[in-house]
Amino acid sequence: MSEQITEEIVAVKVSEESCSACEVCYSICPYEAIKRDAETGKAILEIEKCQVCGLCYSACPSKVIDTIYYDLDSLTGYLERAKQKYDSDTLVIMCKGCAPDLAGIERQFGVKKFIPLSVPCVGRIPVEVFLKAITMGIKKINVLACDEDYCRYQRGSPIEGRRIAALNILMEQLGYGTEAITLKRNSLKVQVKEDLCIACGNCVYYCPWDAPKLVSPGNVKVDMDACHGCGLCVSMCPAFALDLDNWEKDRISMLISQLAAEMAPPKVLVFCCQWAVFPSLEDEPDEHTRFIYLPCAARVDTVHIVEAFHTGVDGVLIAACAEDDCKLEGAGGKTQRPVAALQKRLGEIGLGEQLHILTVAPRYPEAFERELLQFSQKIAGIQKGESA
Amino acid sequence: MIVTTQKPLDEILDFISPYKNILIVGCDGCTQPPRGIREAETLSQLLDLGGKLRNKEFNFKVNTLVKQCDSHLTAVALKDMIDDDVEAVLSLACGLGPQTIAILYPELPVFPAQNTVFIGAEEREAGTIEERCAACGDCVLGLTGGICPVSRCAKSLLNGPCGGSQNGKCEIDPEKDCAWALIIERLEKLGRLQDLEAIQPPKDHQAVARPGKIMP
Repeated sequence: MSEQITEEIVAVKVSEESCSACEVCYSICPYEAIKRDAETGKAILEIEKCQVCGLCYSACPSKVIDTIYYDLDSLTGYLERAKQKYDSDTLVIMCKGCAPDLAGIERQFGVKKFIPLSVPCVGRIPVEVFLKAITMGIKKINVLACDEDYCRYQRGSPIEGRRIAALNILMEQLGYGTEAITLKRNSLKVQVKEDLCIACGNCVYYCPWDAPKLVSPGNVKVDMDACHGCGLCVSMCPAFALDLDNWEKDRISMLISQLAAEMAPPKVLVFCCQWAVFPSLEDEPDEHTRFIYLPCAARVDTVHIVEAFHTGVDGVLIAACAEDDCKLEGAGGKTQRPVAALQKRLGEIGLGEQLHILTVAPRYPEAFERELLQFSQKIAGIQKGESA
Repeated sequence: MIVTTQKPLDEILDFISPYKNILIVGCDGCTQPPRGIREAETLSQLLDLGGKLRNKEFNFKVNTLVKQCDSHLTAVALKDMIDDDVEAVLSLACGLGPQTIAILYPELPVFPAQNTVFIGAEEREAGTIEERCAACGDCVLGLTGGICPVSRCAKSLLNGPCGGSQNGKCEIDPEKDCAWALIIERLEKLGRLQDLEAIQPPKDHQAVARPGKIMP
């Protein structure tokens, strides 16, 4: 058999020939992933550095940057479908980094019925999407972005803020009033249940921002300005004294039982860092697979992994970012040790092979698909072996 | 802190298999790693899964205690946790926990979920916990620059190092530091190397008559 050489598909591409060398993408990229050609000044993308934030895509005036995720076509396609489905003329665009659940969104904007559009960073939404939404008959657009200091892509939230301010001026001139688009900001934080704290100090050690402090005698205090909401302290707390907005322990537990009930065996549950794997706006997962998107692999909690097996899930896959890609100061890598310890423990009761942790990045969209397929096949094989 | 390691699930399953209604209690005291409610809950689910392999179904109640070595605190808290249905107790504490509970509930079988290994401290970066105190009853840290040779030297030498000290490591395990190399390094920094000139007499191993008992 001849070796097949296929080029890995990448999530972001720049068509150099049409590039007008305006340098907007070069100056906007938070990761210095875009270089300028020494002679022509045209943009060259270094995909290994790219974090797929989409800022260059939404900013490029010449439309020479393509992205596989949430491009204009898939966003407008989604809006058309969602407008029917949700039967509303209010759109809420929210960043996954700071968006609470739909009830929380309802409280934020005081809207009951709306079309939700959840994306990893609102900074990737180009002006055209707003205009398209309004031409489609959407009357009100609410945007929920991360508080600027907590933007996972550093510049996404501030850039979208300026974009929306400019758009509102334009909308007013066009006669749509001054409040066609409302921008609000939010950030999700740790919740402290002081009465449960056993003063072990795990949170103090693990927090990358030194947000928790422990004073003797007494309990943990968290500096909420320093907290970035990664959830690492929550996953490491032996006393369940810490929890995380929107990713509370009980909420994830409920989600696990709900998803486990929906699936057909062999059931594979994937705990994903939401910056490592981007869900598609189009495809529904198959009946054997469900995803739980977490704020960071730091919130991968061994309790939830055991719970998944206990609820009848056959395989648990964890998709995390590589250390260099972590958006939260390397917090994501810190749960690998407890997961490895749990895996050893699961091995004692024959389940060790049914837990797998891998690092992926959205820059190679097919890499995760391949790993998932491989893992699902392995789990199906184990299942067959058991029933045979 | 008192350091414990988890017993193999099979060993625990052997203990508890004759029973169905079992109380699992964590300890929020000093055990390292912490063996509180998170561990207790996790263990209950692992034992459920392990029980299935043995066609055995358990009914676990899961809770945690402030410190299982305190018999008064434990007695008060267990009153609300142990009813007539509870057939056995599984303790996640160090060796003190099961003993406290055994005295409080003479009729109730109690089992340890841990092996208690030593008094130690956590090296966070390395992810290890290392033995640092042997509870010898005759503390020599004042002479050794704050580094304990009784617990950290494989031979518990008081006049070290021995000939097996190689490049700062111990001959019995090159992963472990030679305590005496550390002591010399530290005393040098303190400008107190001359302290080593004094020969320490053999250790009084009866500084604590075992079993130890004191009146604080």
